[in-house]
Amino acid sequence: MRPLVPLLVILPSLLLLAGVDSPTARAEHAIDFTRDIRPILSENCFFCHGPDEQTREAGLRIDTHEGALEVITAFDSGQSELYLRLIAEEDERMPPVDSHRRLSTEEIAKIRQWIDQGAAWQQHWSFRPLRSPPIPIPIPKPPDPQQSAARNWPRHNPVDALVQSRLAQHGLSPAPQADRRTLIRRLSLDLTGLPPTPAEVDAFLADRDPGAYERLVDRLLMSPAFGQRMAWPWLDAARYADTNGYQGDRERTMWPWRDWVVDAFNQNLPFDRFTREQIAGDLLPDAAPRQVLATAFLRNHMINGEGGRIAEENRVEYVMDMAETVGTVWLGLTLNCCRCHDHKYDPVTNEEYYQFFAFFNQTPVDGGGGNPQTAPNLAVASADQRRRLNRLRQQIADLDANLSPPSEADKPDEADKQDEAVKAAQKRRAQLQTQLEAIQKAVPKVMVMGDRAEPRETFVLERGLYNKPTTAVSAGVPEALPGRLPREPATRKELADWLVADSNPLTARVTVNRLWQQVFGIGLVKTPEDFGTQGEIPEHMDLLNWLAADFRDSGWDIKHTLRTILTSHTYRQSSRVTDPAVLEADPENRLLARGARYRLPSWMLRDQALAAAGLLSPAAGGAAINTYQPEGVWEEASFGKKVYHRDEGEKLYRRSLYVFWRRIVGPTMFFDSASRQTCTVAPNRTNTPLHALQTLNSTIYVEAARHLAQLALQSSAADDSRRIDFVFRRVLARPATSPERTILLAGLQRTRDQYQGDAAAAAPLVSLGESPRDDALPVIEHAAWTQLVLAVLNLDETLNHE
Amino acid sequence: MDPLLENRLHLTRRHFFGRSATGIGTAALASLLARDGVAAPPRFGGLPSLPDFAPRAKRVIYLFQNGAPTHVDLFDWKPNLQKMHGRPVPGEYIGDRRFSTMTGKADGKLLLAPVEPFAQHGQSGAWVSELMPHTAKIADHLCFVKSLHTEQVNHAPAINFMLSGGEMPGRPTLGAWLTYGLGSETDQLPAFVVMTSITKDTTCGQIFYDFYWGSGFLPSRFQGVKFRGSGDPVLYAANPAGISRQMRRGLLDDVAAINRLKLDEFGDPEIATRIAQYEMSFRMQQSIPELADLSDESERTLRMYGPAVQQPGSFAHNCLIARRLVERGCRFVQLMHAGWDQHNSLTTELYNQCRDTDQPSAALVMDLKQRGLLDDTLVVWGGEFGRTPFLQGDINNRPRWGRDHHPYAFTKWMAGGGVKPGISYGGTDDLGINAVENPVHVHDFQATLLHLLGIDHERLTYRFQGRQFRLTDVHGHVVDEILA
Repeated sequence: MRPLVPLLVILPSLLLLAGVDSPTARAEHAIDFTRDIRPILSENCFFCHGPDEQTREAGLRIDTHEGALEVITAFDSGQSELYLRLIAEEDERMPPVDSHRRLSTEEIAKIRQWIDQGAAWQQHWSFRPLRSPPIPIPIPKPPDPQQSAARNWPRHNPVDALVQSRLAQHGLSPAPQADRRTLIRRLSLDLTGLPPTPAEVDAFLADRDPGAYERLVDRLLMSPAFGQRMAWPWLDAARYADTNGYQGDRERTMWPWRDWVVDAFNQNLPFDRFTREQIAGDLLPDAAPRQVLATAFLRNHMINGEGGRIAEENRVEYVMDMAETVGTVWLGLTLNCCRCHDHKYDPVTNEEYYQFFAFFNQTPVDGGGGNPQTAPNLAVASADQRRRLNRLRQQIADLDANLSPPSEADKPDEADKQDEAVKAAQKRRAQLQTQLEAIQKAVPKVMVMGDRAEPRETFVLERGLYNKPTTAVSAGVPEALPGRLPREPATRKELADWLVADSNPLTARVTVNRLWQQVFGIGLVKTPEDFGTQGEIPEHMDLLNWLAADFRDSGWDIKHTLRTILTSHTYRQSSRVTDPAVLEADPENRLLARGARYRLPSWMLRDQALAAAGLLSPAAGGAAINTYQPEGVWEEASFGKKVYHRDEGEKLYRRSLYVFWRRIVGPTMFFDSASRQTCTVAPNRTNTPLHALQTLNSTIYVEAARHLAQLALQSSAADDSRRIDFVFRRVLARPATSPERTILLAGLQRTRDQYQGDAAAAAPLVSLGESPRDDALPVIEHAAWTQLVLAVLNLDETLNHE
Repeated sequence: MDPLLENRLHLTRRHFFGRSATGIGTAALASLLARDGVAAPPRFGGLPSLPDFAPRAKRVIYLFQNGAPTHVDLFDWKPNLQKMHGRPVPGEYIGDRRFSTMTGKADGKLLLAPVEPFAQHGQSGAWVSELMPHTAKIADHLCFVKSLHTEQVNHAPAINFMLSGGEMPGRPTLGAWLTYGLGSETDQLPAFVVMTSITKDTTCGQIFYDFYWGSGFLPSRFQGVKFRGSGDPVLYAANPAGISRQMRRGLLDDVAAINRLKLDEFGDPEIATRIAQYEMSFRMQQSIPELADLSDESERTLRMYGPAVQQPGSFAHNCLIARRLVERGCRFVQLMHAGWDQHNSLTTELYNQCRDTDQPSAALVMDLKQRGLLDDTLVVWGGEFGRTPFLQGDINNRPRWGRDHHPYAFTKWMAGGGVKPGISYGGTDDLGINAVENPVHVHDFQATLLHLLGIDHERLTYRFQGRQFRLTDVHGHVVDEILA
């Protein structure tokens, strides 16, 4: 790596903070505790000398400053047991030989240097109060022409100032802005999960007024597809699925909550309210049904209806799942480590785990059975169902009003007549009642939160076992985390208030990190699930802090933060690698000296193909649909108990978000997906031959190819070259290059020849899938073009965010 | 450094050092596509530091018996259980042990003798039930571990625990760990393959959850690839109707040509990987149907596996495919057969279950032996726990006899791959209730499996949620006594 080039004139206020809050200002040789020392101690020492009291050796803990001072003499490594034991002979040496842990020579040298420099201690970075760091102003050294170019580095907002100051320290320059076609495709995929239409591309290219890019960002943020795109990672985090999982795998009706999430993103519900409603919507004053619906977030866990399961054991599992999901999603903490013992690395004790658990332990759910609508639940009728229910209720009420018994004064024959009328009315009433009940039964019931009237006592569970309760605890948050609960005894409402309090630095950091990850493919902290001492320390810590503080201070405005990120030059950079040395030094682009290039999630690939082919259904929301899936997948997994009934027509072409998710065997049309079994916040991105087989052979891609081929052949494009451009514009937002065109034209001719005039051989390809085919098109020509489009759908560029 | 990242960096270096006047990356790509001329055996993927020591086994076939086979009726012969038939379980055997809710407290439950007689077999004198005549015949090739015990009393958690070391879904399974650590000996087929089967008309089958072969927090390319019992063995492997293999070749060439342009222009090493993976998909399209085509198997071989061998999706068929897979370099084959959960069908369905699994399992071991593959292929047979030596049901209603879940003792057998043949290891008390002699915990068993493959179970770790995870959590001891 190149030597750091000190380039900054630091603002005076930043100097005061140096070594406390900001790595930006650190001198080349000064040891930084957070970056250089704590990771070494955490990895090698905390396991035996950390927060876990049960396994602490020799009564020594060095995860706290106080504890560490027992074995450190500041400014004197020669007098510091900590250092001496690192360099001792084998039988005295730490870590012990049988631990399989060993410090490198460089690491030992760093520890020595750190002690000799005074052994400065810092609170773990992510727990520190959130303050907006000063924005560096670069003044390049005039004699160096290469560096003076830095003055001209494009800067659109503080994101760029913060990124570029780190780039300068590493002797790197930002990449130039990507071209407009690349930008509109990148933005459209990032904000809507769909490719831009050719008309949208043309409009953007034609808009030469200042602010064209910003207007594009704003238009996309207002698109109804925005909420659908934002919902996917949230559903992964919420372990959302359409069945219980486990034996039986019964179908549930949680989708009204999924639609709530889409609406919440589209309406830009501030993240503090988004949080309060999902964690404690039922406990808010005058809770509206929609706020109660939001709490389904917590109830998305799996349900085990297996015979022989002990109800209380299930119940404890469910409550643990809720607590751990909240811990991961809002705090970036791996609370599950504390089920059985104090955390090995982070300052969360076993007891504190159960205090956190206690917030969710007031659920009336008893853990028995596998009812996928286990109360408390909320009936969420659709507008149509509501209308029909109201009409029926009115009709019944009208009948009841007319159904007064005959008076005694009436003549007998009239009484008989009346009697008949009454009978008819009663019959009618019964019919209406049956209809009413049928609709009520069909109304989806969403499992939501609600606390028991009689509080349940919570205990620490020995080794996490439901039947081994020990000490009683009350609801609370870990002591080492900043901020206190607003009042005690606390409920989920106070927990939610604490999570989004200004004094809580984790929620904002963890959330903006996920937003960053969503567009750059990798977070500023690479471990979105772990902001503890074993998680990654961000290279761009100032940037994360600035974004987090800005997010919080904006009123938790998600669209505002996304707009800030997306309008930065950092985001707009080209993803092209221009210097192999830079790639080698920073293969994962953690320094952000170029744009992000990574394979799109498989759900987005499907949507992209459908949209480009003109097949995508605009229908949104409602019950999940069953699209194309090879036969027998559910049947084989469930011994024939679950039969797959493929939907027809428009439903086959709905967005991936609406595909039915069976937990025991997830939808086969996606790959690298979250399991939707437990909370997942990190993306999974691999590159295997099985993925290639999927995008080359599965019905949806082949049908998209033949449909787009049909559009190309039907279009006004005058010749093959222009038809290729037609396809490229719809898929990649650009025309083909000349070498690409040459390759594809030759391929087209080759395919035509391969069919050798045998239309029967080509026929099955052009009739694959349900969408109608234009029979006027010559079969061989259509098939040859289908193969060409299939190739385009499988280009690396098509598969990638570029 | 993160080993995966290291691998990627390696590709990056190769990519750029192969740069020539005609454009960056072409030479590197050629070397990637030609597959390195490494001396045999080839290895694709895996961590450079592994194996830790010379492996005794190179590959594994795990014949997982889903639902928990009854150890006291099949392999764990207890004359005293015969004698005590119909009498209540003595309290000192069960203490405050926890059983499933179907049994609740075990006090007063009646002991049940094995449903069929046992006999001793081979030089080793192994006791095997008459329910398993074929297994009995090969007893001298097997190593019975009779003192296994687990912590889980229900199927899904116990199977997870056995295969991934954790009761909840979310950890990598054994096959995922092995392919992550050791890579594969083939690039024509997946390294980790799963096949499932169930005895026909069984009433006590357990569902196969895909997390039984999941990769947990390891990258998903290490998860098991499920071969299906019908249709294409691998989803999406077949070309769509109307696209011939020759046409596909042309299409892939066009895609690769354009991707190469992209590689030259963008320099992203992932593009080189993508080109290579598309090539591999083409090879798999050829090798998978070839794998499933049994026409080159001799009549004699087919007969060994029994009449069901020709039925795709049967256990017998899967056993033969498993042999064909390991022959072709597959690292880990996981067969799962359901139907062992005999709560009330011990005198009926247990017989069907043994009929379907006994002959093919024994045939597989002998087939591997005859081909010289058994020496470095490890075969494991067994389930997630045992079944209660006491009765579930009414002692006077023999047709409805059953046994409940029993985590405190059960038997598995192993063959080949560096395991001592013809021995029994460990033992239970005289009623088969508790593992008392050399108990083998699930984590010990896992540590031993890894050891046989040349891996120190304490070193094969992966960092997730800030901590180094491993298959055996923080436990596990290698059972040295069963190593050959």
